[in-house]
Amino acid sequence: MVMKNPKLARVAQGARLELVPLQVVVPVVSTIIALGIGLLIIAATGASVVEAIEAFWDGMAGSDFNIGASINRAISLALVGLGFIFASRANLTNVGGEGQIAMGGMFATAAALHGAGGLPLGLAFIVPLAVGTLAGALWGGLAGVLKAARGTNEVISTLLLSFIALPLVYWSVESFHLLRKPISDVSSLPESAEIPDSTKLPLLFPDNGSPLHIGLLIAAIAVVVVWLVLRHSSLGLRLRAVGLNAMASRRAGMRTSFYVILAMTVSGGLGGLGGAIMILGQQFYLTSDFSSGYGFDGLVVGLLSRGSAVGVVIGALLFGFLRSGSINMEISAHVPSAVVLICQGLIVIVIAGSAILTNRKVTR
Amino acid sequence: MIDEQMAVFVGSGLRLAVPIIFAATGEMLSERAGVLNLSLDGMMLMSAFTAALASWATGSPLIGVAAGVLVATAVAAVQAVLSVTLRANQLVVGIGFNILALGSTTFLYREIFGPLSRDPIPGFAQLNLPWLAGIPVIGPALANQTGLAYVSILMVVVTWLILKYTSFGLAVRAVGEDPRAADKAGISVAKTRYLGVLYAGILAGLGGAFMSVADSNTFTENMTKGAGYLAITAVIFGGWNPWYTLAACLLFGFATALQFLVPALQLDVPVALLLLLPYLLALVAIAGLVGKSRQPSALTIPFERGG
Repeated sequence: MVMKNPKLARVAQGARLELVPLQVVVPVVSTIIALGIGLLIIAATGASVVEAIEAFWDGMAGSDFNIGASINRAISLALVGLGFIFASRANLTNVGGEGQIAMGGMFATAAALHGAGGLPLGLAFIVPLAVGTLAGALWGGLAGVLKAARGTNEVISTLLLSFIALPLVYWSVESFHLLRKPISDVSSLPESAEIPDSTKLPLLFPDNGSPLHIGLLIAAIAVVVVWLVLRHSSLGLRLRAVGLNAMASRRAGMRTSFYVILAMTVSGGLGGLGGAIMILGQQFYLTSDFSSGYGFDGLVVGLLSRGSAVGVVIGALLFGFLRSGSINMEISAHVPSAVVLICQGLIVIVIAGSAILTNRKVTR
Repeated sequence: MIDEQMAVFVGSGLRLAVPIIFAATGEMLSERAGVLNLSLDGMMLMSAFTAALASWATGSPLIGVAAGVLVATAVAAVQAVLSVTLRANQLVVGIGFNILALGSTTFLYREIFGPLSRDPIPGFAQLNLPWLAGIPVIGPALANQTGLAYVSILMVVVTWLILKYTSFGLAVRAVGEDPRAADKAGISVAKTRYLGVLYAGILAGLGGAFMSVADSNTFTENMTKGAGYLAITAVIFGGWNPWYTLAACLLFGFATALQFLVPALQLDVPVALLLLLPYLLALVAIAGLVGKSRQPSALTIPFERGG
């Protein structure tokens, strides 16, 4: 990945080569520009930029607790982002991260509240994680099945599946016969009861007050596995072949439908795992909007990474810290956190618009 | 009692359908030219906000609509540069615009309207057309709409006429089906697609403005709630035909209105399930029907001369 000077010189001369440097330069430059615009907007509101940045920094990394919380956010974003690049290897665009998170979180909560709590040997949290992953996998896989069987555009179907999943979560926390907490005390908010302690993810550093949990290890394993599969396995190659030319792959004897469904199932499963980790690691009870914004953040992380698992890690950390910072900025410096949404939108648009620089081929 | 509720149901179903009709009709023309604007929802949201702001500032809902359309068209122009000239991924660009629209309208709303958000903004009065009101059951609902609602139907007719009877419409269809052949025949692919996207922007602007200054007389954060996505689905469901698209929009409008009718009839159906009904219908529709109708061959595929 290290750029050598002669290479750079040839890029400058417009020589055709693999253009790896530009793939790194474009996301970095567009992120910096977008953050600069964000600062200008903050300045335009008359708020103190210094105060805003201080509040932002404090929220991101002001204490062990804040750093842990930021990394916990990044874990779920990384999983959604990994799901995105897994599907995009097969030229599929999974924009339904929000719905897959929602389904994963909802089913993980259900498993944690009903039965998993008493299991031994860490199964108390492993089972809900697995159930959440499965729920996300089914939700993503459904889009894959529709694509393979009916040719339904996965962008539209995953979006619609998100719009279907969110009311389902709302329904589950609204209804006493589903997940809503029974009325026992004064409050009866539409939310689930807290999950049993045994189902919460163990903390990595229980002594220093950091909320950082073993989800970090799970995400790290997922990063390595996805990287190996996409870059160094025949499965990765097959996914790529199906994505590049489905008809040729079919003539070569590959079952393209199988790979389309597989790619969407794995992609959705990673999102579901991300949702399950949000509940089991950090939030501990289900609310109707627990997934709010995480799907789009994860999507942006996937886009920024340009298909690289390492890029996903960097992007997820960036957005995990950004989100923590923006929440604190809204609370302490009264700058609406929507500024961060504006920055994210700009980043996506600029990166998509500059694809003409980084891709020689016309992409669909 | 039941009759009265049916009239309310028909009225709210129509009102909810109008923004989708506007957006879907424009989007249909743009897609016929080969460009899919996933940013439709963002265009509508920006227009809804701008229309509310301009109407509140000037006291004239008409100026509000004009301002909303202007902003949506500006978004469409940028979308066109990215989709047509820079050959960017149309879906990704669209999602970027939707995030940007949500962020910027939420931000500006809190900055500008924050303390005043309870005040209704100046909106259009409902027309009361006696010759329509006479129709049984649905008459009052048809007659008690704002003028802008009737414009949405007019735009369906206009769009149908453009596509069927004008040389521009012919160019749109040619460019969406076989841009290379159209290019050889001397049609400018880029110009036709730019105009298609701008047309979609104007209509999405009308749809968004309708939401704030004609329907609810207020702006709320993320008030489109995915109406733009429903519009895109309606185009697919409607098989890229103006009249079938109109029917799909009405179906989605009425499916959305059920969440008001069902509780009023005291039926024991969870509201949450009614909330997801339009999207479920949309999913079933595109999954079940897209095989039968054929989308424009060059949809979402950028055109590069001699490539």
